[in-house]
Amino acid sequence: MDFTFDQDQQLLRNAARAFLDEHCTPTAVRALWDDSRGESEAMWKDMTQLGWLGLSLPEVFGGSGLGMVETAIVLEEMGRAAYSGSYFPTVLVATSLALGGSAEQQKRWLPAIATGSARGTVALLDAEWNWDPDAVTTRATKTAKGWTLTGAKRFVPWAHVADVVLVPARAPEGLTLFVVDSAAAGLTLTPVTGIDPGTRWSALALHGTPVAADAVLGTPGQARPILEMLLRRGAVGASAEMLGAARRALDMSVAYAKVREQFGQPIGSFQAIRHKCAEMLLEVENAHAATYYAAWALDAGAEDAPLAASVAKAYVGEAARKVCGEAIQVHGGIGFTWEYDLHLYFKRAKALEPMYGDADYHRELIVRHVTD
Amino acid sequence: MDLTYSPEDLAFRERTRRWFEGNMPRQELKTLAERKAWHRTLYDAGFVGMGWPRQYGGRDATPMQQAIAADEMARVNAPPPTNGLGIGIVGPTIFVHGTEAQKQRYLRKILTAEELWCQLYSEPNAGSDLASLKTRADDRGDHFEVTGQKIWTSGGLNADWGLLLARTDAAVPKHKGISCFLISMRQPGVEVRPLKQITGSAEFAEVFVTQARGEKSDLVGRLGQGWEIAQTTLSYERGANSLARVTRYASAFSQLVNASKVLRRGGRPLLEDPVVRAKLGRIYAELEVQRYAALRVLSALTKGEGPGTASSITKLSYSEFEKRFNELALEILGPYGQTMAGLPEDLNFPVVASSGHGETWAYAFLWSRAGTIYSGSSEIQKNVIGERVLGLPKEPRADRTRA
Repeated sequence: MDFTFDQDQQLLRNAARAFLDEHCTPTAVRALWDDSRGESEAMWKDMTQLGWLGLSLPEVFGGSGLGMVETAIVLEEMGRAAYSGSYFPTVLVATSLALGGSAEQQKRWLPAIATGSARGTVALLDAEWNWDPDAVTTRATKTAKGWTLTGAKRFVPWAHVADVVLVPARAPEGLTLFVVDSAAAGLTLTPVTGIDPGTRWSALALHGTPVAADAVLGTPGQARPILEMLLRRGAVGASAEMLGAARRALDMSVAYAKVREQFGQPIGSFQAIRHKCAEMLLEVENAHAATYYAAWALDAGAEDAPLAASVAKAYVGEAARKVCGEAIQVHGGIGFTWEYDLHLYFKRAKALEPMYGDADYHRELIVRHVTD
Repeated sequence: MDLTYSPEDLAFRERTRRWFEGNMPRQELKTLAERKAWHRTLYDAGFVGMGWPRQYGGRDATPMQQAIAADEMARVNAPPPTNGLGIGIVGPTIFVHGTEAQKQRYLRKILTAEELWCQLYSEPNAGSDLASLKTRADDRGDHFEVTGQKIWTSGGLNADWGLLLARTDAAVPKHKGISCFLISMRQPGVEVRPLKQITGSAEFAEVFVTQARGEKSDLVGRLGQGWEIAQTTLSYERGANSLARVTRYASAFSQLVNASKVLRRGGRPLLEDPVVRAKLGRIYAELEVQRYAALRVLSALTKGEGPGTASSITKLSYSEFEKRFNELALEILGPYGQTMAGLPEDLNFPVVASSGHGETWAYAFLWSRAGTIYSGSSEIQKNVIGERVLGLPKEPRADRTRA
């Protein structure tokens, strides 16, 4: 029983923190907020060189063959830095292709992703506000050459920089996952502005978009297991990022409570503030346990991995929102200003809370796991 | 990271499970003699004082083995050892701080439950502010004379001996004037009265001490060292109950699910009501997080790191969770969750409270109010976390230096 990071994981975490502290400062993040692409080419190159894009890819595709725990370690640090960019959606695409893609699809995309020349995203939400894969209404129609896709995907993260999009659609065979080139005909994007300028979304419309017969990931009609896997990994990755944001918000609050004086004393000496900080730490530590238990369970193929992923997402989303919100309260007025950096983390945690299954969705999955 | 159990731990769990399957008492233990006999059976089988050093009659068991044994006991709801405080608090206090003579005299009889112990710490006017305690131990030459009142004494009614904190010097700051004693409960001048709680039962007692005798040889540590000793042994909790706790929660949760299958609303079981499902899903997520956190504590202990101040986080976390869990259960069950008697069998939903006692949700709900008060209230835990984990400045307090 060892719940601590091993030496390599510790090194990865230190390296990630050092890199992001240097290259992903609040000032750099704010510059990206004002940038139309919203992410830095230079940072992407550096991250590629650090091996982050291929972290969980098999070595044959230029990856390091590591797991969800390592991915979560990097994502936690990204949350702590309010990193702005398409890293995680790209990793999700790569993992899906590595696990279920054809040799052709893998050859086409994986080395390109591992070497930093391609980005990807997943279009999981359809017209309904519903994370159940069966809620997909986008249609796939067979043609002589393959398929055409028609439908409207919502809140697709970082679609505007993606080269490849995973699109679930309803085919005559049933739920089917397609690997779609973002330059395909009839695919249009409309940017959607949310509260976190470091999380970019698009509405993705497909107007009879033609895709080749071999663009199916896996078998037509059999997409549900891989979509469930995608949601689980998405849930755990998002949990890691929200955890990082929460820890940063806690650290800032504790530091502030030690130096900010009112009534002639540091506010951290007042129980009203001290107890709040203690409650925040409790949430952060529980969020850590939930996130890394789930990440480990996915890597180990543990029987309770699906349950653990849902537990992590349901718990951490609420915990991170609470911690980041209380951080604003501890800071008082300055925490509500645009100039102070706290809202970077508050907004990141909030933006990820509904993604890859909101708490209601995961709680329902939990009840199914434990009562069926 | 590797969250699997070692082959040794799995084998130990298997052996333990088989032992309890074969040795569980066939009937409810009613008398103290029956409970002592069960304790002795547990001791002979190696399940009492497992974490104590071998030289004092323990087993030098790893924290993980202690947790597994307690977990297996919770799984079958085995009656606990009779001398819980003796094993958990008094013994460790004696073998860490006591004299050789004290070790020889007391330790073995604690393990065998030949002598039962209680803890004489809290007073009516010294709860969270324990160091302000007023019970006096005055030096009378050949002995100490003890006078005062203690409260919230678990197991006080059956105790033969008490671990006492009393003031031996009123002229120094309050933390420095306290000493620690081993004192006989079987003497004139010690009167024990049951303290009926909101549950209707009396797990605790009030103890009135009037000119009772404390032997000089039964002073633990130095005069004035009592507060320091109490601090070290209060944190002796070694995660032994961490898994057992969660197993009890999980068993209570499945009882709640069972009840939600029986009770009906709108022509279908409550379990099919989306509002009920949302509540169940929320609390089960929290329950699982308690399990992951317990594994994390055991991992730290296994690596030889003391739980230290992290035990404040654990205690705050589980005791507050227990309140939320029982509140939610009674939200779902309504009056069926409050019923103590009078319902037909099929509508009488049993549950075991976290204390291991009780058979009703009503008892479990009432009992859950205790956890955030005993052994340092949630507010005290938050102070400890704030000051010692987060390094926030202490409150300005006049009583740190004043006598």
